[in-house]
Amino acid sequence: MKYDVVVIGGRIGGSISSLFASRNDVDVLMIEKRQEIGTPVQCAEGTTFSTFETLEMKPSNKYICTEIMGAQVHAPDGSTFKVEEGMTDGNILNNKTISEGYVLDRRVFDKYLAIESAKAGTDVMVKTTVKDLIRKEGKVCGVVAKHLGETIEIKADVVIAADGIESNLAYKSGLNSLKNPDDICSCAQYELVGLDIDPHLLEFYFGRLIAPGGYSWIFPKGDGIANVGVGVRNSTETAYYYLKKFVSKFDATPVELNIGGVPLSGPMDKTYNDGFLVVGDAAGQVDPITGGGIHITASCARIAGEVAAEAIKKENVSSMFLRRYDEKWRDEFEDNLKISFKLRKSFDKLSDNDMNALAEFFGNNNLEKISKLSTLKFLSKHPNLLKLLKELL
Amino acid sequence: MKYLIESCGCCGACVAVCSNKLLELTENEIIIREGCNNCGRCEKVCPLGAMISEDA
Repeated sequence: MKYDVVVIGGRIGGSISSLFASRNDVDVLMIEKRQEIGTPVQCAEGTTFSTFETLEMKPSNKYICTEIMGAQVHAPDGSTFKVEEGMTDGNILNNKTISEGYVLDRRVFDKYLAIESAKAGTDVMVKTTVKDLIRKEGKVCGVVAKHLGETIEIKADVVIAADGIESNLAYKSGLNSLKNPDDICSCAQYELVGLDIDPHLLEFYFGRLIAPGGYSWIFPKGDGIANVGVGVRNSTETAYYYLKKFVSKFDATPVELNIGGVPLSGPMDKTYNDGFLVVGDAAGQVDPITGGGIHITASCARIAGEVAAEAIKKENVSSMFLRRYDEKWRDEFEDNLKISFKLRKSFDKLSDNDMNALAEFFGNNNLEKISKLSTLKFLSKHPNLLKLLKELL
Repeated sequence: MKYLIESCGCCGACVAVCSNKLLELTENEIIIREGCNNCGRCEKVCPLGAMISEDA
């Protein structure tokens, strides 16, 4: 078997890479290890409007559960502040990536993208696990896959690894993909039914007793249903333990349990090799503060598919050429991801009291126009937060 | 490490942190190749507690 491009993974990174490669008239195969695309869900399912601009798709009610118009942050002491739609992109707190967008049904959305890719000409193999890369003189030139016990060799000029947090392919290609456990957010989530909540508001809860090293969330899906989850880092108890604790306060029924690890390390230093590209969670293309990655992965995957197709047409799949992918996606996201990583490091050091103080400060101020006087007053009481506030504002 | 398959949710978080790259996520289980030094990195990230240090 031989293809121009083989894409490993059939979720958003894989489907979008293969879609944009196929649209550029190259032969593409996408391989998914599970027998169904889109399950199990490993995501809180929130994304930005920009995802659909990247995809040049009109968002559809088939996979959009609800539109988000704001976010509410709960401090450890229970005090809250709101970030609402219409605020400008002036600082990280009124960043549109958390206060505007959609909550998706990933099960339907992922499948829809795979179908779009198949319509554009991508061949798809499901229930097929990639065991190894085929390499010749150091260059990646295909994969060894297994389907129902049968081993299959598939040659390819470019292999795109969109195989998620559990990726071993980047490592096998010679890239450093090892993650530090402190940088992995360990997550557990219920889809709860019977909640009395605002269907257009995301809610985030912080605190050592609620979610050490992370946060808890409520992402509404409409009709009293929501993804209610917890992400923790460096915790002695599991994410599941904190999830049970968090949901005990709701009189609601779980109809689904989702779990997953989210890489908050920032992206890999290098995301290409000879005949090889890596996208999505496998490449660490996730915002280190929010843990959100759909909009980033959508864009990176599109670039990967387009660059792979261009490389095929130019008959140059060397790392020198494929480096364009790395440069293009970094142009778009690297600065923000670096700032976000730095902020995450600062947040890691905050005590519950620091978070309470910050929430009070933001709750008492108009986020679009925080005055110098109120900032100075705040800092005279909390001088330890100077550095963080500077980074935030 | 001791792997409790009945507690595993097949999310693959453990695979990302295994310092010797001994873990692989198939469709519905984690495969552990020989050579595990019981470092406990996978235990730290498992959302359901399916990975337990042998000496624990």
